[in-house]
Amino acid sequence: MNTLSGKLGAGAKVHPIIPWLAGLVALLALPLVMRNNYHQYVVNIICINIILAVGLNIVKGFAGQVTVGHVALAAIGAYSSAMLSSWLGFPFWIALPSAMLITGAAGILIGIPAFRLEGAYLALATLGLAESVRIIISGTESLGGAMGFESIPPPRFFGTVLDSHPAYFYIVMPAAWLAVFFSFAILRSDIGRAFKAIREDQLAAAASGVNVRKYKLIAFILSALYAGCAGSLKAHLAPGFLNPNDYTLTEMVTLLLMVVFGGLGHIWGGIIGAIMVTIINDLTQDYYQYRMVIFGSIIVLTVMYMPRGIGGVLDDFFIRRRFKVLRDKRAEASRAGGSNAA
Amino acid sequence: MTPFVKHALRGLLPAALLAMTLAANPARADDGVIRIGITLRMLVENGLKYGQMAKDEIEAVNATGGINGHKVEVTLLDDECKPDKGIANVNRFIHQQKVHIVMGSTCSSVSIPMVDITAKEEVPQIVPQSSSATVTKKGSAWVFRTAVSERFYAAVHAKYLAENVGKKVAYLYTTDSAGIGFARDYMSYMRNTYKIEPVYETQMQETDLDFRSHLLKIKSLNPEVLAIGGQLDAIARITQQSYEVGIPARVRRVAASAASNAPVPELLGDYAKGLTFAAAFVCTDERPVAQGFVKMVQTKYGVRCPDHDFSQSYETAQLVKLALSRAKLTLTDASLKDDRTAIRDALAGIKDYNGLASGPISFCADPTPQCRDGNRTGILVEYTKGGKDYDMRVLARVGFEPDFGL
Repeated sequence: MNTLSGKLGAGAKVHPIIPWLAGLVALLALPLVMRNNYHQYVVNIICINIILAVGLNIVKGFAGQVTVGHVALAAIGAYSSAMLSSWLGFPFWIALPSAMLITGAAGILIGIPAFRLEGAYLALATLGLAESVRIIISGTESLGGAMGFESIPPPRFFGTVLDSHPAYFYIVMPAAWLAVFFSFAILRSDIGRAFKAIREDQLAAAASGVNVRKYKLIAFILSALYAGCAGSLKAHLAPGFLNPNDYTLTEMVTLLLMVVFGGLGHIWGGIIGAIMVTIINDLTQDYYQYRMVIFGSIIVLTVMYMPRGIGGVLDDFFIRRRFKVLRDKRAEASRAGGSNAA
Repeated sequence: MTPFVKHALRGLLPAALLAMTLAANPARADDGVIRIGITLRMLVENGLKYGQMAKDEIEAVNATGGINGHKVEVTLLDDECKPDKGIANVNRFIHQQKVHIVMGSTCSSVSIPMVDITAKEEVPQIVPQSSSATVTKKGSAWVFRTAVSERFYAAVHAKYLAENVGKKVAYLYTTDSAGIGFARDYMSYMRNTYKIEPVYETQMQETDLDFRSHLLKIKSLNPEVLAIGGQLDAIARITQQSYEVGIPARVRRVAASAASNAPVPELLGDYAKGLTFAAAFVCTDERPVAQGFVKMVQTKYGVRCPDHDFSQSYETAQLVKLALSRAKLTLTDASLKDDRTAIRDALAGIKDYNGLASGPISFCADPTPQCRDGNRTGILVEYTKGGKDYDMRVLARVGFEPDFGL
């Protein structure tokens, strides 16, 4: 492990992108170790959930805005992509960024109430918007209504149809990788620092010269772009079917669970949360009578014993480890000093 | 350790967890067992009971040595009437458990995407309860349906009511698949057959509680029939509120097939009297096979009057057993594709199966609705008494030609 860490560390000194690229290359081999296509399907869903969770973390974890409208943005992205590719014949590679832009524009609509609302009030406003989106889709026959939007074409790459789960992995995984990469970039930029300032104290941030309105809106737009990307990827995943029933409050709570379980404000926390919750969701399918109890218990236990989520626990671990290394170094230095004096 | 590498190593933790999970959950091996995957909407009124009944019925063969000497293993999952769950379940059945046949689902919005998956992966699928015409219109060679298609249901009540009650129909329905399908087919039948437009038509959300404003408008239009589409709770609310706003009892209330679910007459009490619906089965059916089934459900599952969700689950389980007993199965990993094909062909070979359905069930080989909508007999039922000891009577029993409504 130390050798690996050393090599990655050395690579990072040459160029910070090198460890990222190493991670990407390692992940490219994942389909080779999958035992069957179902596992590959679960991994694809995990990648989509990672994009959703990381996006939600930007607005909720970094900027501290309480939103419960994220699934509605994912629905907008999904249905936009489905319409563009099914009705207008857009290839997936154009439908995906177009859907992201449309969802980004929808993010402005969700972000505007955040200028004046906070906390529970903002949550209620975004909840209303989320439900409206679902209801509009349910009642729109041209979008498939309550029956669903069918036959969304899978992506093609130089004539090859990417409709199998292993092939689709090579679209969702790099997308998730890019999402995480940009999330780190955002967090470390001026924008990320402005987000954190707003999260900690809006008044203090404004007094320090942060344009609170502008950065809140940026947070919602960025978050919406992520949701649009995840939505589009979901729409084109085989069998290419969307239904408004998959964008309800239950899905929103599951998404929030990913972020809270992983750790609000931790990018790795969002990733861990997305992986863990998706896997728990899958493993508990056999115990359908108790699934909601299991999920409810996880939320309660996480809030009680890991209020900062798994990300917080890992933070504590690394901080303790860093202190231990420092303590050992000091002890060694004092021992060396003592022996020199002797 | 640099901060970046520290972060990257953190990322290895979920990757390790994922790897452990996947390794701990291997695909099924070659074991000579017939595997069946069932996905239904379970967490609803009697869902757990009819799901368990379907599983019990199929697995009962194991007590007598299995089917042609092969043990049967059934995996029963809940899809919550959510397409995402249904898609995940069917992927799991096919790719991880390597099932020989899939049974499901209850909701059309779940069965429809499942059809695409089973068609692509070439796995036989039998649909016990979904009634949307789209399920078999997709042209999959791998899908069969025990439930009565909505193309037949609409005609059952539309024809009877138009000829015996009246043609002035007001439609109030919710925006779920059950509500939309019911109203759309009824309206379409009235337009195509009698050239008659609705007196009033509106959609409400399935979660809406108060329908009185629309019902007052309907009252002022003086219709002869009030068509109520939706799931059972919406049907119960609309029916009760229609009386509360003063729509007279002579206006016939006709509802989607979810009205056959026990909570509807129980919730409505006296308001249930006269409520009419088309269904595939009624527990007052006096045939010995039907009464034997009702007694079995009462004894084993504690349900006094099983509705057509029960009967269709039971019927589908019997058809699956029949097809499996007729199919020549090798049951090795290498023969999985051939075994699935043999089961599909055995299902396609079922002709004139007489069970709980009001008419015979027949399938054939062509991937068309004519061949794959096996049950083509619907019954029109009317509640004669509401409350816990509700009762009903059959108004009409209608059989259709295979290409009716196409």
